[in-house]
Amino acid sequence: MPEWFLYFVALPMALLIVASAVYGLYWASQKGQLQNLEEGAKVIFDHEEPIGRPTDQILNQPKTAKPLKT
Amino acid sequence: MASSLTASLNPASSPDLAKRAELSAIDASTKAPALYFLGSAVLWLLVGTVFALIASYKLHTPEFLGNIEWLTFGRARTLHLNAVIYGWSVNASFAVALWLMARLARAELRHVGLLFIAAAFWNLGVTVGMVGIALGDSTSIEWLEFPTYATPILFVAYALIGAWALITFRFGRAKHIYVSQWYLLAALFWFPWLYSIAQIMLLFEPTRGTVQALVNWWFAHNVLGLWFTPIGLAAIYYFLPKVLGKPIHSYYLSVLGFWSLAIFYNWAGVHHLIGGPVPVWVQTAGIAASFMMVVPVIVTGLNQHLTLVGAASALKYSPTLRFIVFGGVNYTLTSLAGSLMAMRSWAEITHFTHYTVAHAHHGMYAFFTMVMFGSIYYILPRIILKEWPSAKLISLHFWATAGGITLYVVVMSIAGIQQGLAMNALPVGADGHAGSPIPFLTIVANTIQWLELRTVAGVVIAIGHIAFAINFTWMLVKPRQPGTSEPTLFRHAPDLEVAP
Repeated sequence: MPEWFLYFVALPMALLIVASAVYGLYWASQKGQLQNLEEGAKVIFDHEEPIGRPTDQILNQPKTAKPLKT
Repeated sequence: MASSLTASLNPASSPDLAKRAELSAIDASTKAPALYFLGSAVLWLLVGTVFALIASYKLHTPEFLGNIEWLTFGRARTLHLNAVIYGWSVNASFAVALWLMARLARAELRHVGLLFIAAAFWNLGVTVGMVGIALGDSTSIEWLEFPTYATPILFVAYALIGAWALITFRFGRAKHIYVSQWYLLAALFWFPWLYSIAQIMLLFEPTRGTVQALVNWWFAHNVLGLWFTPIGLAAIYYFLPKVLGKPIHSYYLSVLGFWSLAIFYNWAGVHHLIGGPVPVWVQTAGIAASFMMVVPVIVTGLNQHLTLVGAASALKYSPTLRFIVFGGVNYTLTSLAGSLMAMRSWAEITHFTHYTVAHAHHGMYAFFTMVMFGSIYYILPRIILKEWPSAKLISLHFWATAGGITLYVVVMSIAGIQQGLAMNALPVGADGHAGSPIPFLTIVANTIQWLELRTVAGVVIAIGHIAFAINFTWMLVKPRQPGTSEPTLFRHAPDLEVAP
């Protein structure tokens, strides 16, 4: 394996990746991503699927009078 | 429609982005590429399962199919590994990742064509690689056995998916980046680097000596820790709260978990070489990192547990939840076991035994694969607007795979510890002097009973996979209920008629 690859490609890329991780954390703090964390937990809910309503209840449901439709 | 390519890549130029897309529209836009990836994934799962059974059977009964050269154990086992990793696991990862990213970005999928081409190239690459291995062209480097004529095809596919992911993220409408989004973006960012460096330094411009082993295990372990783990965790962090209707217990802990994983995980790969011919300080760094991983693992496990507590009755109703919770619990267990295995005193016994195989399956199956199953049970009905046809098949799938993998991990762990203790044993003779070590063939003979049990576990798991594949196919071909256009069919639970 050519040495120049290690010194001029692999090592710089590794440093760039570390730098990008540091930048990612910095960017997150600048954009307010690390504040209001409890609000952050709620972003996956909305008016269609609000907090408090479970989804994906498809097994072991009680039978009703309606006939099975498949 | 954008009038030019650059306009279509720039969110600022799109007039229709003023409103956040409704869930139904988002899910519908993911349908075609998600189906392509999911269908491919299930097919490769079946292929991988077949090779798994062949390999497992051959190990205790070597004459089985002994005259078929392309099924020798070295090839059968390698075909199994590559089919379940690059065929099933990665295709499932792509499907789940793209669906999650569309939902998290609150935007409909754009440039879907990119994903189609990517899926086609990925499957082509895996097929070419599998055929190459069967023909004897395996590189014999673990997790990188695909011959070098197959891997550039995979690279093209991946580049397209990476490009797509960047575009989708740019078009995101969500102000807050949810923790699953962090995990997915990080995984998509890390993987191409891992794969290209490993290919270059091991196959295209090979490095020398034990550095090869270091690169090999840096790669293979990081595929687990920086690709599959983030995708599995992204799925758990989304589906667990969604199914329960409860936000994650401590969102702060999830952010902490993400960043500590990012810092520590990539150092840990050297633990595969403890006791091997690499510098001791490198091994120690790997061991230290493996123990630091306890932080994100406990944090994540605690978070998931505290979210589920009080709402566990939902396990009865939701197939997704069963698989996700099984996967999440096993994530914690397998990761803690992994940290323990990094201790030199532990590794002295279990390294190079069946114990490592048990651990690998614990992580990739009991955690990752089960989480993927759970994700598919959630995603598929929402994109094709049909219900799963058979609740019985879902139950069979769950119990067979959960039971099968538990048997597998327990059996192979015991086998490995027995092997390791026996190989290290130096019995003391009656005269006080050291006796001779236990003959290797004796140790091999003692291991056969466990290998046979492993084949039994494999058959049980295969039954689960067949049940899943049948349900999956049936669901695709059955006609859709007239008038269904709702995004989530399971909103009105009491109206549903499903036999328990």
